[in-house]
Amino acid sequence: MDGVLVGKRVIGAQAPVIVGWDNIPKVQGGPVKQFIFTWFQPTMLLALVAFWYYAPNSIAKASIAVWFGFCFRMLLLCLEWVNPRYESWRLTWKELTTDLFYVGLAYTLLHVADYYIGSDAMADAIGHYFHQDKFAWFTGLPLLVQALLIVVVFDIGQYWMHRGMHSWYPLWLPHSVHHYITQLNMNKGAVGNPTELFLIGLGIGGFFDFLPRAFLIAGAFRLGTETYQHINVRFNSPRWWRYVFNTTEHHSLHHSLDFESTRSNYAPSLIVIDRIFGTCVDGEAELLGMEGGRRMSIREQMTHPFTEGWKAIRGLVPAAVSESSGLGKIS
Amino acid sequence: MSLHFIDWIWHVRGSLALPAGQSGDDAFDRLDSLFCQDGTVHQRTGGTLRFSKKNQAAQDKMSVFDRGHLRIEKSVAGSALHYCLTSRALLFCFLAPFLFLGIAQLTIFVNQSYKTKLEPAKASAVVQMNPIDKALGAPAPEPEPTSDAERLLKAEEKKPSPTAAYVFAGIFALLYVVGRILEDRLVKALFRKNLLGSA
Repeated sequence: MDGVLVGKRVIGAQAPVIVGWDNIPKVQGGPVKQFIFTWFQPTMLLALVAFWYYAPNSIAKASIAVWFGFCFRMLLLCLEWVNPRYESWRLTWKELTTDLFYVGLAYTLLHVADYYIGSDAMADAIGHYFHQDKFAWFTGLPLLVQALLIVVVFDIGQYWMHRGMHSWYPLWLPHSVHHYITQLNMNKGAVGNPTELFLIGLGIGGFFDFLPRAFLIAGAFRLGTETYQHINVRFNSPRWWRYVFNTTEHHSLHHSLDFESTRSNYAPSLIVIDRIFGTCVDGEAELLGMEGGRRMSIREQMTHPFTEGWKAIRGLVPAAVSESSGLGKIS
Repeated sequence: MSLHFIDWIWHVRGSLALPAGQSGDDAFDRLDSLFCQDGTVHQRTGGTLRFSKKNQAAQDKMSVFDRGHLRIEKSVAGSALHYCLTSRALLFCFLAPFLFLGIAQLTIFVNQSYKTKLEPAKASAVVQMNPIDKALGAPAPEPEPTSDAERLLKAEEKKPSPTAAYVFAGIFALLYVVGRILEDRLVKALFRKNLLGSA
């Protein structure tokens, strides 16, 4: 396989990938279907943001936002049945059950950990040193500007955390198991070792707790953009959308069997951040995973970072460890 | 203790009558493609086929099963395929509700162990709405609660709730029932399709 030169990198030398928007398959069907799957994403984003902008205080609460997100994800699951991107990514009972196990852990055990020892606790501890009055300039901004700033700051933080995970072996260990998924489905974003989900949750979200409305709008913005990273739906996303936002196409490349492709498209919502830092590759891949696409069991996902980490600590042939994990080179 | 009375939880058993004139070897030949998948090893001895799977791909049509055996039995009425398949995924899904019920109890225990501490009430800072938001009709922000009772209630509301764990326990109980019936039917339909299909 020759691959395609993108910037200074050769993409697709190890596994088949599609590079460039013109080569990606389009939605098949009549004009109504084409219209729906072209404008679904922008319309839903607008609707989600408008809902939380105008929702009365009695329902503009985090608890309702959780159920709101759940219903939106159920709608997207239905779309996976209506218009799948790839038949090989079709959701099966076993995949759904496995994915929901990780979603369940995130909503329960990890939530407790985040609250008492994770991001919420950190925000609470540091928050006492800040005076709300000093943020008056920020809270006086229009709500949509506040929300957009939260999204941008959050995305930049997540971009570097994610890029760090792909570049530094100790951070790669917990993240690596997420890259063993061989399909993209609605809940695949939650699949991974809990330590990674805990680490990636150490964002700055908790610091915006004093801005509930803006925080809810930012959450809606992320729900309406970031959610499409892991989903088996074929969209004809408008050109401007795929220039600004991360898409399934971008993220499928990030999960592909081709090592060089995985080192691209790190930002969760705003792919434009990858464009700025030179890590964006526009394209798509169907064959996903690691080690030739072997599926990792839940038990191995739970232990893999620790067993591999222990091997590395004991200094057992570091090069072999990196090859078996597909990392290539320990930096 | 014999597990026979409870092993239906993670075993799928069934039988299919072979089409008239189809031999055991012919039937296994027709099913062969199902066992030529990555991570699957199988062995045919006489009228029995045994298989086991490891790290089976999501795209494998029998990925939900980890091992099993298929047997051809002859009777007066004709030959029939009998199968017994084992699924760790079904067992896991059956046990998952208990895990989440445990997590719910853990959440309650942790919440009770950590007493809510009230910070000293800050001077009530009135958040000014931006004129653009006023013009667009966004609801005005609620003032921060000032009484201790209200602030305590708000702090308690922020604590993790066990409700999510109860919901997931229910989801997995439902998923188990669906999976136990669905996978039974799907594998039967898969075998039937292969046995009746063109060789």
